[in-house]
Amino acid sequence: MNEPATTHVAQAGTLESMDCLVSITGAGARAIEISGSSAARFKGAIEKKIGEVLDTLSAKPVKVTVQDNGAIDVVLGARVEAAYRRFERGPSA
Amino acid sequence: MRRTMLYLPGNNPNMLTRGYLFGSDGLILDLEDAVAVSEKDTARILVRDILRRGEFGSCEVTVRINGVDTDLWRDDLAAIIPCKIDGIRAPKIESPQTVRDLDEELSRIEAASGIEVGHTKIFCLLETAFGVWNAYDIAKSSPRVAAIIPGGEDLAADLRTNRSAEGTELEWVRRMLIIAARAAGVDALDTVFPRVADDDGLRREVEFIKSLGYDGKSVIHPNQIPIIHDVYTPTEKEVETAKKIIQAAKDAAERGLGAVSVDGRMVDVPVVKRAEFTLVRAGVLPEQEKGR
Repeated sequence: MNEPATTHVAQAGTLESMDCLVSITGAGARAIEISGSSAARFKGAIEKKIGEVLDTLSAKPVKVTVQDNGAIDVVLGARVEAAYRRFERGPSA
Repeated sequence: MRRTMLYLPGNNPNMLTRGYLFGSDGLILDLEDAVAVSEKDTARILVRDILRRGEFGSCEVTVRINGVDTDLWRDDLAAIIPCKIDGIRAPKIESPQTVRDLDEELSRIEAASGIEVGHTKIFCLLETAFGVWNAYDIAKSSPRVAAIIPGGEDLAADLRTNRSAEGTELEWVRRMLIIAARAAGVDALDTVFPRVADDDGLRREVEFIKSLGYDGKSVIHPNQIPIIHDVYTPTEKEVETAKKIIQAAKDAAERGLGAVSVDGRMVDVPVVKRAEFTLVRAGVLPEQEKGR
């Protein structure tokens, strides 16, 4: 079996107003899934921001799931970075 | 002016991004008590990014870091100081050495970040009896110290008492700290008023600290801001009297006179100084940079 080494899920953020809950887990290729209040309207912008943050962190391939509740760009970026750093630290984080 | 400094929970995007709209003189983005231990890492990143965004209106921007008795404060400083904030609010300061340790770390990060060394001020929270006892030495321990602030709940616990509606347990502390602050040439800022629905109690407490000479108060709810500003804002009559005093002093100086009289009261240098301060608080005169 070629089980991926990183199957744990790391999370950051909340479902409170103006926030988002970001979940990150290992994947064969970068993947982004968005749900929530602004998913339809701002999908492109959210994907772009997530991509920028992951690139800045030189991130390995991961699947990013965002449950958005009206987070502005700066909040989304902070939550993605926090979730990725937790993912990197491993399951105990 | 530092009449009101509003605490904003460091892991709350809603408050962090909109808190400045409530009109306080200053903001305290809080990485300490308002953030659960499990969320210290996420709050630090969020606060850093909100600081980088930099939308705070005309507010003085500070961050309450975690205490120097934790393993978190160096990471807090490393994240936020490069954002060029106005100051840090440091909890549980007990001795001048603690301030010097902070000063040293701030200088190191400022130099590495291309920020003028000494830019970041320190607002010292004195939350133990020992800290209060050392207030003057703490206030004088670094030119970075902008203010000393009595603790509320933590100090009450250290004094082995509770917070009362009358504030009896803090009365002597407040009197001591205003003397220490003025002697050291720093601001005295008061602790929070925890009963957010008790407007009358808040007004009484602000009137008391203002009468002692305090420069302002820490705030935990936006609704407290207009009440505090109202107490600190001079009345029309006070403003008119202050203008008359300053004009009379100016006329006297031009005519080579020393003391003059306004409305039957002798006007000398301290009276003029107080009149100027009244006009600063009324927004008539611009605030001067404190001579520190």
